[in-house]
Amino acid sequence: MTKENHFHYSVERAWCPGCGDYSILSSVENALANLKKKPHEVLMVSGIGQAAKLPHYIKANGFDGLHGRALPAAFGAKVANHKLMVLVTSGDGDIYGEGGNHFIHAIRRNIDITLIVHNNQIYGLTKGQASPTSDLGMVTKTQPDGVFTIPFNPLEMAVTLDAAFVARSFSKDMAFTTKLIEEGIRTPGFSLIDVLQPCVSFNHVNTYKWYSDRVYQLDNSYDPTDKSKAYKKSSEWGDKIPIGVIFKNSRKTYLDNFIKHKDLPLIKRKTNIKEVDSLINELY
Amino acid sequence: MPFDFNITIAGSAGQGLQTIAGILTKVLARNGYHLFTSQDYMSRIRGGHNFTNIRVSDKPVYAPTVSSQLLVALDQESVEVHYQSLTGPAIIVHDSDTIKVIKARNIQVVAVPLAKLSNESGSPVYINSVAAGVLFSLLRLDLKDLVGFLETRFEEKSPEQIKGNINAATKGFTYTSENYQNIKTTIGTVRKKNRMLINGAESIAIGMIAGGVRFISAYPMSPSTGIFIYITGKAKKFGIISEQAEDEIAACNMALGAGAAGARSAVTTSGGGLSLMCEGISLAGAAEIPVVIANMQRPGPATGSPTRTAQEDLDLVLNIGHGEFPRFVFAPGTAEEAFYTSIHAMNLAEKYQVPVFILGDQHLVDSSITLDKLNPNKVKYKSYMVKSGNLKKPYLRYKNTKSGVSPLAYYGQDKVTFIVDSHVHTEDGHISEDMVVAEKLTEKRFRKINDMKKEFYGPQYYGLQNAKTVLVSWGSTYGAVRETIDYLLEKKKSVAMIHYNKIWPFPVEESIRLLKSRKDIRVVENNYQAQFNRLLKRETRIDTGEPILRYDGRPFDVRFIVKKFEKRQK
Repeated sequence: MTKENHFHYSVERAWCPGCGDYSILSSVENALANLKKKPHEVLMVSGIGQAAKLPHYIKANGFDGLHGRALPAAFGAKVANHKLMVLVTSGDGDIYGEGGNHFIHAIRRNIDITLIVHNNQIYGLTKGQASPTSDLGMVTKTQPDGVFTIPFNPLEMAVTLDAAFVARSFSKDMAFTTKLIEEGIRTPGFSLIDVLQPCVSFNHVNTYKWYSDRVYQLDNSYDPTDKSKAYKKSSEWGDKIPIGVIFKNSRKTYLDNFIKHKDLPLIKRKTNIKEVDSLINELY
Repeated sequence: MPFDFNITIAGSAGQGLQTIAGILTKVLARNGYHLFTSQDYMSRIRGGHNFTNIRVSDKPVYAPTVSSQLLVALDQESVEVHYQSLTGPAIIVHDSDTIKVIKARNIQVVAVPLAKLSNESGSPVYINSVAAGVLFSLLRLDLKDLVGFLETRFEEKSPEQIKGNINAATKGFTYTSENYQNIKTTIGTVRKKNRMLINGAESIAIGMIAGGVRFISAYPMSPSTGIFIYITGKAKKFGIISEQAEDEIAACNMALGAGAAGARSAVTTSGGGLSLMCEGISLAGAAEIPVVIANMQRPGPATGSPTRTAQEDLDLVLNIGHGEFPRFVFAPGTAEEAFYTSIHAMNLAEKYQVPVFILGDQHLVDSSITLDKLNPNKVKYKSYMVKSGNLKKPYLRYKNTKSGVSPLAYYGQDKVTFIVDSHVHTEDGHISEDMVVAEKLTEKRFRKINDMKKEFYGPQYYGLQNAKTVLVSWGSTYGAVRETIDYLLEKKKSVAMIHYNKIWPFPVEESIRLLKSRKDIRVVENNYQAQFNRLLKRETRIDTGEPILRYDGRPFDVRFIVKKFEKRQK
């Protein structure tokens, strides 16, 4: 299926066999192809972690920067060239831990980018320490008595901050994830798609079976535009975990304050030296 | 008659000293006087003790002086703080109803009911205009210039407020002219010429704009905020986007995202914020992303003194960012130099795809000087990106070229894709752990140094040819050192100075040529560890004498340098 996809890039991947990252990558490729985008029109931004290697495994532009700093870099790139479609793909440690502050402020700015978090509730690249989303009680080498810090709920926070689009998916369900990514991209403003993803090497609690037993798709009776209901839905976790669009909210995007889509991107603008003269003249 | 006259306007924060100083300096500059104004203020919004020094001369002046011939005391504390540094025949202007001044020989007291005259003009808030009127009378300036200024400067105020200010200024002027016509001042007349008045923050900001900055991000931090505010104020007009980030880490990474996408980007900060940018700067080095970092120093460590000056971050900017990568470091000495340096910085960041530091300080950004003109065409904006349609395919973002500089494109240009990467990477930007790739990548980055060394201008010499003693300045110590040289030359000393703006790559050969076989080399700098002195010795292997250091948060002045210099000579 992915063979004909022009975003597909055949290259060796440094992911474990069975890792959820593979299906998230395929979902991203499919969503972009379905949206009829061309590789040169897309920029994939990431931080550091297993998930953050994704920009190296897809045919598109990439920015693989620092741990935790994908969102500010994505913001800068989108502002520099608003015609680029900007996606961020990184992990729970990267976005919610190291980059937690940027997560808050990227949502507040409502910059028109789509954030796909590969949420496996564990640190994979550093070999199995708790992440901000690890469940209470999970025992690791650095949490030998089990996690006793309450887990971070990214969806609750995103709803609270009035994110434009808040969704959750499960990596195994590729078609569903693809659909959510497409919808996230199409929604103007900041879109979060938190994708639950098993880590077959280090997370022996939240396995394929664990997720499969719990996730259920939201149906048409759920209204994602109602903020208080969305908040309640976003806090649902345990025996039942909802997947689908949790919250949708229409508000002005960051760039709506400065730029219309037809405007010249920043990178094409030139400074008029005559106008610099006017700045100098103001000093007399 | 040559003259060198210093006016101190002192009071607490919120009293409007800046307004009085602003009116006076603008009119003096428009009349052809040469000025150097410096700010000494505390890190608070109200209260405390603040003052502005306005040095007025018939010839260019480059540094502050400590002694003063005219003090405007807006509160009692100002009299007490500045009384000792007055040199006769000095003048003290004060409110006759609220402030007491002890009469002394050599002190001429000008007691004016400032608050009362302001109230008579309609409001207590016109007091600054009354004080301006007093000063115009004492300095034999034309009241018409003051009235004209108030009309244009305050155009956003209501007609009633403008009228009130003009009335207040006229009352202050008339009262002083009638009661204090015998006051002697040593400010002379100059040939009329319209000069501009510019501070370092404005010059760096305008330089960045002339250099084509498209995106700027910052977290506010004294004393760098003025640059960010200036560019933000002009952003719409110039098609720039300015963003106040949640922290300096974000500010730096935003600029790198924008830079990687092809927009000329800059950040402004001060020491603490720069520390937070450390990893981002390393990313700029690894991923070869153009970025200009304007770091305006204040004393540290940690919070230090937010509104004071220092040159303590030199070692930091030379080394900031883990790992090894090339960079430029510039430290302009004056507002004029800062303007041209900033244009260069924007060009060079893109030309070499490296981080470029503009290292200034509170003294540079907050001090204003008069200039005849600035020429935005002297250093021209030049794009170093591959022109559209000219991209060779397959495009390699990190192509291993002879010069070390790879062709620079923007994402999607000519329909290509590429990845900008923080790891050790191949020429096409993909992660690699191959040892040959690692070695070649490091060598490629450092090959840029060969051409970087030839960029910009080297150290500048001023003073007696073949002088025995050479004082060395870098950054904002330029002004005080230059005036020290003038002073010592007048005393027939064999002295000269060398000023460094380009600090890295260090101009080794030029330095050796200028410094070898000097009897005494004395570096003047605002830090304790003599950071530049160590750098100079390390790079040139030339021995220097005891450096002249200051680390109390205040800028150098001639008297301070001469005292330290002569102490050593004995």
